[in-house]
Amino acid sequence: MVVSLDIALQVIIWGLYAGCIYILLATGLNLIFGVMKIVNFAHGELLMLGAFVTFSFYTVSGFNPYVLLAASIPILIVVGVIIERLCFRPILGTGKLNEIFISLGLIYIIQNAAAIIWTDEWRIIHSPYESITISILGVNMPLDYLIIIVTTIAILVALYLFLRKTTLGRAMRATSQNRKGAMLMGINVERMDMISFGIGAGLAGAAGTLWVVSGQVFNPYMGSLPAIKAFAIVIIGGLGSIPGAIVGGLIYGIAENFAIFTLGGAWKDAISFLILILVLIVKPTGIFGESSE
Amino acid sequence: MISMADLKERKNQLLLAALIFAFIVPFLFGVNLYILTVLILMLVFIIYSSAWNFLTYTGQGSLGHAAFFGLGGYGSALIAAATGLTPYITIFIGSGLAALVGLFIGTICVRLKEWFLAMVTFGFAIIIQTLMVSQFSTWTGGWDGIAAPRLLSSSIPNYLLIEYYSILVITVVIIVIFYFILRSRIGLAFAAIRENELEARAAGINPVKYRLFAFMISAYFAGVAGALEIHHMGYITPEIFGVDISFWPVIYSISGGLGTLAGPIVGTVVITLLWDGLQSLGISYARYIVIGILLILIIIFLPKGLISLPDRIKEWMETRAKKS
Repeated sequence: MVVSLDIALQVIIWGLYAGCIYILLATGLNLIFGVMKIVNFAHGELLMLGAFVTFSFYTVSGFNPYVLLAASIPILIVVGVIIERLCFRPILGTGKLNEIFISLGLIYIIQNAAAIIWTDEWRIIHSPYESITISILGVNMPLDYLIIIVTTIAILVALYLFLRKTTLGRAMRATSQNRKGAMLMGINVERMDMISFGIGAGLAGAAGTLWVVSGQVFNPYMGSLPAIKAFAIVIIGGLGSIPGAIVGGLIYGIAENFAIFTLGGAWKDAISFLILILVLIVKPTGIFGESSE
Repeated sequence: MISMADLKERKNQLLLAALIFAFIVPFLFGVNLYILTVLILMLVFIIYSSAWNFLTYTGQGSLGHAAFFGLGGYGSALIAAATGLTPYITIFIGSGLAALVGLFIGTICVRLKEWFLAMVTFGFAIIIQTLMVSQFSTWTGGWDGIAAPRLLSSSIPNYLLIEYYSILVITVVIIVIFYFILRSRIGLAFAAIRENELEARAAGINPVKYRLFAFMISAYFAGVAGALEIHHMGYITPEIFGVDISFWPVIYSISGGLGTLAGPIVGTVVITLLWDGLQSLGISYARYIVIGILLILIIIFLPKGLISLPDRIKEWMETRAKKS
């Protein structure tokens, strides 16, 4: 099959934008893993909640959905903090399988609570810029994709500045590097757990809003697959490494779109695992695994 | 192998009582088709979760056992359709497909741990589902699935009752097989690998060999369970590879108690009864929430599962008695 340059570029741009949502999820997972050394498999359910929060506010207020990032992020931060306190703190340090099992319980609870509140129909909302496409380097791309890419970059830069420049961010990085050492320096590590989980959940909420504005359909059960993919990205990039998550997310988004293009739509979900398995066979710690913090 | 002395132990008495109960339970309610169906599915899932739990003896786990559950089903259904043999035979041949794929997946997973293992096994279930609906759809009928011959024709009087007893016998045999494997040197090797892989290696145990063995056995019996289910239903669709099917044995085994033979059985029975009980009350979405909350409570407050509940209550009563 001959893939012309135009189509290749088009696929890469789809991939970039799909990658943005995965990067937000994967960065959140990594942040939580870095500080708490746990993995929240129910992360996709937070994305779903973010999507539905956006949906509810949008149907009530009719605001531009991009503005609703200001609603979905704080609400999800609160949800994240509650989940951390009630579910993950009691099992911290009890064995790595327990967090997978707790997540399973959370998945069931959040999905079906959402199904009761919002019913299990597939929903979609339309971005106000839906019909606008712009042309960059001869490639047509919807304006929404560009806004999503820019928004993601802005969020990641804000996170970077927070982690590098503020006292709180430094305390969080200290906790992720050496928990005991941080404790001895007077850092309240349990509060760091709470904050990192909150921020991780907030990033998932932002991903949910972006999911909605990109015109993708959503229902209460849609969260699992994006989360699993995000986790695959985290493993590909190396656990705990945020640059790894970004590179992994981009590689992944592009690979997924190429797979749809060449193997057919049925492979959309399976391709992530093929990549994951290939990476793990070659390097069981992930691409950036050893260089992580 | 079984002496009178064994019968004096409380554990064995309970086991015997459970077995007798399983044999008479269909008659307690009059022969009722709905209850028989629930009981049959319960047995199928007891086999399935016991097979999943078998994997945890070597310190492995899986979030994608639906792959083997489904492959056993497809293997058996296709062989039965091609040869016309009775499902009671094809079940055990078809599950070979699950074991074979299990061996392959196990080879890839054998060095992975925890989350990595969970992800890769989860991924394989999705990959296999995708293959079934795309590349292999000429044989598998794609998303529509195919018809599978029933275990017993419904024209036979009391066919469900016979089906129940035949599956009960299969279940008991499989659990006994697990019991003897775990009691043998192999079981000891499993424990050694689970507790400390380095020391196990130093003692001359090859962890890779034993892990692969566990993966294959677990996949085979998960396949048997899947084949039994689809021959009971009379059809098979790729839904059988769904995330739910992968998660059920995990939930059953954890709520019952990981790493024990009785755990998955107790967990399956309790959760299934709860599940069907809630359904008969007309609760649909909320029962997932109930199961989810129950799961989290068990993990936090009862890490050894429901089978440790009597001991915990006894402990609690004793400390209370001491205080007063």
